[in-house]
Amino acid sequence: MSPGALMQLQVAQPTADVTSPVTATAEFDPPVAGVGEKTFYRVTVSATESAIRWPAEISAPAELKFGADARGQITQFLGNNFRVFTSFIYEVRPTAAGHFTIANFTVNASGPLVEIPAASLDVVAASSNPPPARELVLQTSAANLFLGQPFRLRVLLPASPANEIEALREIDLVGDGLMTDKTAQRQSIEAVNLNGQSRPAFICEMTVTPIAAGPLKFFAQGFTAGHEFSGPISIRGQVTIPGGPPKYVLLLSDPVEINVRPLPADGALPGFTGALGKFDSDPPQLSTNRLRVGEPAHLKTIFHGEGDLTRFVSPALPRSRDWQIIADDPPATGFTLIPLTDEARATPTIPFSSFDPATGKYEDLTIPPLPVTVIADGLPVKIPALDDETNSAAPTALSDLSPTPGKTAASLQPLQRRGWFVILQLVPSVGFLALWQWDRRRRFLEAHPEILRRRRARRALRREKNKLKKATNAGDAAAFARHAADALKISVAPHYPANPQALVCADVLAQLDDAARNGRPGETVRKIFAAADARFASAAQTPADLLAFKPDVDAVLQKLEEKL
Amino acid sequence: MKLCRHIFLSALLFAAGILRAATTNDFFAQGLELDRAGHFPEAAAAFEKSARAQPASGTLVNLGLAEWNRGHAGAAMLAWEQAHWLDPFDLRAESNLKFARLVTQLDEPQLKWFEAASTWLPPDAWFWMAGASLSLAAGAVLLPPVFRRKKSGWPPALAALGCCVFLFSLTTNVGVVTRTEIGFVLKKNASLRLTPTREAEAIATVPAGTAARKLRTRGNYYFIRTADAAGWIEREEFGLVCAEPGVSP
Repeated sequence: MSPGALMQLQVAQPTADVTSPVTATAEFDPPVAGVGEKTFYRVTVSATESAIRWPAEISAPAELKFGADARGQITQFLGNNFRVFTSFIYEVRPTAAGHFTIANFTVNASGPLVEIPAASLDVVAASSNPPPARELVLQTSAANLFLGQPFRLRVLLPASPANEIEALREIDLVGDGLMTDKTAQRQSIEAVNLNGQSRPAFICEMTVTPIAAGPLKFFAQGFTAGHEFSGPISIRGQVTIPGGPPKYVLLLSDPVEINVRPLPADGALPGFTGALGKFDSDPPQLSTNRLRVGEPAHLKTIFHGEGDLTRFVSPALPRSRDWQIIADDPPATGFTLIPLTDEARATPTIPFSSFDPATGKYEDLTIPPLPVTVIADGLPVKIPALDDETNSAAPTALSDLSPTPGKTAASLQPLQRRGWFVILQLVPSVGFLALWQWDRRRRFLEAHPEILRRRRARRALRREKNKLKKATNAGDAAAFARHAADALKISVAPHYPANPQALVCADVLAQLDDAARNGRPGETVRKIFAAADARFASAAQTPADLLAFKPDVDAVLQKLEEKL
Repeated sequence: MKLCRHIFLSALLFAAGILRAATTNDFFAQGLELDRAGHFPEAAAAFEKSARAQPASGTLVNLGLAEWNRGHAGAAMLAWEQAHWLDPFDLRAESNLKFARLVTQLDEPQLKWFEAASTWLPPDAWFWMAGASLSLAAGAVLLPPVFRRKKSGWPPALAALGCCVFLFSLTTNVGVVTRTEIGFVLKKNASLRLTPTREAEAIATVPAGTAARKLRTRGNYYFIRTADAAGWIEREEFGLVCAEPGVSP
């Protein structure tokens, strides 16, 4: 648009009326009230709110108890120009009957002093039942909420006693800790149930979000605007809408209190951006799963939810080394993903969660990774032949594919790094050493055969002793004599050396010292051999008391065995 | 009964071996098809699976070709080095490495003399050679007396030969072990850092395919030395020659 056209458009606009003198009105609404009943003291000044220096307190009779107060500004279109009006309103409850007047006073309206005229209130006994004060009705969809949980709020202006419906303008909520979404306002006229009576009312519905925790108290204010409806409105039922110029009257509602709880810290999930409500999502869809490095792909993610989605906050963008992520402009919830490297195998996981006030729990809505194939630009597979002598032998192209797997191995880790394999390598050498040691022993025994003879004699003696023991236990004197003689022969055989069977009693006696030979051991040996040789006699008889020589035989054998 | 159980277990093990080999061959065949169709990322993945199941020189050569064609010079050169490690006589791997180094203008890894000697044969061959030569020497010295043979003649010569081969193969085995610390930079323009942390100052940038020697390990980082610089690098940006393909050691 050219500057000239812009200027023309500005000139064509209606001008604001700043030349007319500032006027003021003051009144009690209603002018007659019962004791303890509500009435409103309302002052309207034809100036902007910022221009008026309104006193903090108003001088009034002590019988008039002041409650909530509010102020509002409205612009009135007067044919060819605009005029701004500011209203100050106080809730008043008289404590005694009588005629009370708030005297006139002056306020500064950016220079000129404006006189606020006096206003009178007649207070009658409550039983007189004067008409109640006209006020707004405030209704909320919930009283217990979580911080940030949007809720619906309705401001109602019931029809007048003449059943006339007026519009409301400049509706506002007075109270801390609330955020009003005026873009989602909805207006309607329909019958509502108020104090048990069905009455038509102008309804303005809006979405409000608590932004502070704890008990929140607030009330609504708004100007009546006659038939000046702003925006679309749905009307149900028969209503009467007054004609003529509207009368802008600032009205208040009774206060409403809601309790706002902070969101629980326990169970919080990653990716929570403040989305409150019951949501679910469709499976994410990627525009393509095969793309090149630097080539964008669109990830479509759709969330569904119950109630108002206008305040839905999209998932926060995660940090990814492999991807550049760009979020779609709200209210869309998709993403544009650009791979930065071909090492990316899947789209990044986008953590997201919501809080469901109905269950009091966080819900996981994380967008899962989707597999992709990212392709990078290849490298040259062939180069022109070089004239350089040093490189002339170098190949000018890559080889073909190998048609077979070729030489295989169990692992690329070399055997040298495995401890058990090193030990296995030493096994043959250890075997050779063992063989060598065995051979040395064999040669030693060949040079010293008496060692072997004595070892064999000891073994045979052990066996013979066992037989001797068995014969003793069996009471077999003949067997005892035979085995005792054999044992004695075996125990002396290595000293000759000779075969044990070739030895006789004298050979055994020869191995005993003189004292033993002539003493009891010698006698024992002789008796044993005599008894053993008796078996060759024609009428072999072995004395039964021979078994009594067992201890003597053992003593002789022990003595002989010590010499082995 | 015991015999039946042994036969059954042996058959089971045999079948498992055949199945594993069949799966490996399936991946290899799949990789060949994908590579010929120009699907290099998928082909590389198939060859990688095949090589992970059973490392083979041909598979690694093909893995290197697929990686090269998808622009991964570092991964390609590592795969060819691994193929060369497995089979020093693989001409494809050797030729491709020469070609790659010509294109990237990168040097071969600097090897000491015993490391260079260890490249003449596959690493395991040196190991077996050391064991066999030691056994030969020990046998030549110890067995003749056991069998009552004369110590003179060929046994001493055989023992001397065994000792020589054993001593030489001992040095090449050392070379094989030290070569396991050699690796290649996988990422393009990877940063060498002053300390093993992500926030550390980058002291040098090295191109993909640069050969380096791993000196230390700390957490997720290797301290490596290239021909020109030394510093810490992330594990996933550096591949060791003896590491299984696709597996961070």
